[in-house]
Amino acid sequence: MDWVADFWIPLIKAVVVVLVLLLGGAYMTWGERKICARFQVRYGPNRAGPFGILQPLADAVKAIFKEEIVPNHVDKIIYVMAPGISFAAVLITFAVIPFGPEVDLFGQRVGLWVGDIEVGLLFLLAIAALGSYGIVLGGWSSNNKYSLLGALRAAAQMISYELILGISLLAVVLLAGSLNLREIVDFQGTWPLLVLQPLGFLIFLIAILAESNRSPFDLPETENELVSGFMTEYGGIKFALYFIAEYTAMVVNSAIVVTIFLGGWKWPALISDLHPLAGVGLFLAKVLFVLFLYVWIRASIPRVRFDKFMRFSWKFMLPLAFVNLLATAAVVAFL
Amino acid sequence: MDISRELRERFGPAIVAEQETRDGIPTLWVAQDRFRQVLAYLKSGTDRPYAMLYDLTAIDERARTQRKGQPAADFTVVYHLLSFTRNHDVRVKVALAGAYPVTASITDLWPAANWYEREVWDMFGITFEGHPHLARILMPSTWEGHPLRKEHPARGTEMGPFRLPVEKQEREEEALLFHPEEWGLERHGEDTDFVFLNLGPQHPGTHGLLRIVLQLDGEVILDAVPDIGYHHRGAEKMAERQTWHTFIPYTDRIDYLGGVLNNLPYVLAVETLAGIEVPDRVKVIRVMMAELFRIASHLVWYGTFAQDVGQLTPVFLMFTDRERLFDIVEAITGGRMHPSWFRIGGVAQDLPRGWDGLVRDFLDYLPPRLKEYDKLVMGNPIFKARTQGIGAYTLEEAVEWGVTGPGLRACGLEWDFRKKRPYSGYEGFEFEVPTAQRGDCYDRAVVRVEEMRQSLRIIEQCLDNMPAGQYKADHPLTTPPRKERTMHDIETLIAHFLGVSWGPVIPAGEAFFGIEASKGNTGYYLISDGGIHAYRARIRAPSFPHIQMVPEISRGLMVPDLIAILGSVDFVLADVDR
Amino acid sequence: MLSDYNFIGIFVVVALIFPFIALGLAYLLRPKKPNPVKTETYECGLETIGETWVRFRAQYYIYALVFVVFDIEAAFLFPWAVAYDQVGLWALAEAFLFLGILTVGLVYAWRKGALRWQ
Repeated sequence: MDWVADFWIPLIKAVVVVLVLLLGGAYMTWGERKICARFQVRYGPNRAGPFGILQPLADAVKAIFKEEIVPNHVDKIIYVMAPGISFAAVLITFAVIPFGPEVDLFGQRVGLWVGDIEVGLLFLLAIAALGSYGIVLGGWSSNNKYSLLGALRAAAQMISYELILGISLLAVVLLAGSLNLREIVDFQGTWPLLVLQPLGFLIFLIAILAESNRSPFDLPETENELVSGFMTEYGGIKFALYFIAEYTAMVVNSAIVVTIFLGGWKWPALISDLHPLAGVGLFLAKVLFVLFLYVWIRASIPRVRFDKFMRFSWKFMLPLAFVNLLATAAVVAFL
Repeated sequence: MDISRELRERFGPAIVAEQETRDGIPTLWVAQDRFRQVLAYLKSGTDRPYAMLYDLTAIDERARTQRKGQPAADFTVVYHLLSFTRNHDVRVKVALAGAYPVTASITDLWPAANWYEREVWDMFGITFEGHPHLARILMPSTWEGHPLRKEHPARGTEMGPFRLPVEKQEREEEALLFHPEEWGLERHGEDTDFVFLNLGPQHPGTHGLLRIVLQLDGEVILDAVPDIGYHHRGAEKMAERQTWHTFIPYTDRIDYLGGVLNNLPYVLAVETLAGIEVPDRVKVIRVMMAELFRIASHLVWYGTFAQDVGQLTPVFLMFTDRERLFDIVEAITGGRMHPSWFRIGGVAQDLPRGWDGLVRDFLDYLPPRLKEYDKLVMGNPIFKARTQGIGAYTLEEAVEWGVTGPGLRACGLEWDFRKKRPYSGYEGFEFEVPTAQRGDCYDRAVVRVEEMRQSLRIIEQCLDNMPAGQYKADHPLTTPPRKERTMHDIETLIAHFLGVSWGPVIPAGEAFFGIEASKGNTGYYLISDGGIHAYRARIRAPSFPHIQMVPEISRGLMVPDLIAILGSVDFVLADVDR
Repeated sequence: MLSDYNFIGIFVVVALIFPFIALGLAYLLRPKKPNPVKTETYECGLETIGETWVRFRAQYYIYALVFVVFDIEAAFLFPWAVAYDQVGLWALAEAFLFLGILTVGLVYAWRKGALRWQ
């Protein structure tokens, strides 16, 4: 066994990726507060460090030192585990996402991805779905009525978006001819799939918003209906885990959108002969753009009612996704 | 035909007496055994009926000295009815004898009487036979005594120090537990168990200390039981201890978003009692301030309503606008949210130099903002999906439940006190009364948004036609008198001294004055026994009946809809509980 | 390629360790002073009425059943989509047939009122 190539490099990669994701999630909280504030004629955090740049650190310290209250009557094991499940599921999702081409680093040929597997897309869908288990379990185990309502909504939400998420991706698979995400990115060498699949992109974007529990689909949480939904009984570090999981999920989901529809690290239309690390920068820039979309949407529109969302996704989005898939199949077959 | 003659002809001796009041509302004393027939006749027997139970309250008569021409009574129950077709009110009084009298309930005539009768029971200890659930409503169920009775202490120092040992705390908590059986609610359905959920008092969606116990099947609301009183401060009791003048700041805190809109009905009622006629300048200043506060109140509602359906940004924009408006209020009055600026017979000071520029700027500033909010909020398809068809009631239901203000106009009835019974010179202004047809959450919003534009129109007319003249009436009961004169003539100085140290003495009598406030009709029913404070001050607050109606319009909907309904009703808990 | 699964395995282990580190660190550093009032269930400041874990109605449970069926059927489509290039027109016809059956299923569920709240 080649220890360097088979153990140390992947380990270093894993640690670096996890740390970057955590940092990204943490700074997403800051970024959202800052950008939202600009939408709302406010300053946002501006006390901890210049531009409030140390705010996430201060929040983390607070969360760690805060007394944790485990209420009576909770199902203790599940109650403690649930935020961890959400958190881990989000991180693991990123394992198959390539964020750059192969590069030479410190004399080693390193692919800028964690694992390059054939069924990457399926892996992605499977692990991403686990995140809502953390929410459902957390809400249920809290033995609190608000949490329970939040958990039930999370379950309802999952069965609303999961299917259209898969079907909108089928058209992509069909075009790229692969479930491997690196190959899907390679397929977008000239044009991002957004151009070929505008409808699929929109459907996917709505589904992924719901997957991230983000406005307008932040139904399991809905502070002004369910107090704090599934998180009502959580405080201290457990709350922070849920919180950072949500924001890291935004980062990861943005990366997914970028990889599948926006061409990953590839430059649009043939400007491909750049330094590979510039590709990483491009990937990041695209991710930031999608993240901005998340915040923009949150700052702008109201929340849907969850039964209406369910009806909308089953009676409108699902047929639409089917039509998109068949149309794509027909076009591919006849061209 | 005149209603009191009509009733006399029909009921003969059952009409015991007719009382003179300062407000000119026919006030009939009806025998206790016949009053239900009289009320039923007024509600549906007579042509152009008195369809709305506008207010129901009681008076503890035992300490009253000036009751000339009124039948003997220890307690009086007062029914205040309103006819939209006649644009006329009638007051029916029923004299009760005994320390803890018993009378008949009228909940079968008006469902809205339910809470009013509970309040009277809570405050006076008058029992209503036939009431479905005569429980305390504003006071905690553990309270001893009935606060508005004259023998009940009016201040903490008369009651001994307050202590909260653990046992008492536990007892109070125990008393707050909700027992579904008491309210006739099932715990189990056919194949599911119902969940009973406390929504509030500590809940971000209830806009204050309101508790609504929900009976949920899944997330569908089967029934809702509001529990109010967490914001009860006993304003009506305080009025019996404060002088007529020093009670003004308390009124600001009834609908705490309405500012001087609360001062207005109070000072108008006192002026009616005292017979003060105010100069034109006072009227126009009052109208301008009232309309500014209507906008301020509606802006808060607009932002929080959008927030209630999940839109984060509008509330910040609208509060920013409101801050600008408060800058004007601050320049004129020195206060912001609660300026307590109206006085008996006038306003506190004349307008400062440069006020017109500030108001003009605001008139230019707000309309484009409102236009933008139309796109941001009212035009948003998700917002529409969340509010259209939700929490709708018909005009009949609205009248039945005592709904006034924008909630009533959203059902298609063009009823605005500023138009129908102009006060404070509203007859001289040009404005429209916006209405909508469907009576749902969205339509209530439509009405309020348009009202802001109409308020701007009124303010512009105030600005263009501000009359010259005095800012206080030249009347001995004007309190305090004009400062410039106190320094020069002895009568005014004496009046000032008495008014401030002792308090103005308002002649004995009764007067009600209702105005179109931002939430609905706010009215003060004041009774003077010829003293320096009110013998009884009844605050007819619009939010009280509105909250009572919430269960009616939320059954069968879901929790998010309830939050949208609460937002659209636009209540203030301080206005509900007083 | 197989080693990539090992890489993912390593990544999964690292990802799982992090929540443990966070929970453990907080466990060591945080104050612990529970009292009966603190540990009560939160319900807007009042004691909760009755049980929380009851026979709760999930109005959407027929949706959930339909979902299970559809999700599995959608999973069948992934191999088809990957191999689409190699099988060509015949695959299109098959897909139409398969999706046609799916659609009939959806329409049936819809008509039967499964996609409605009860």
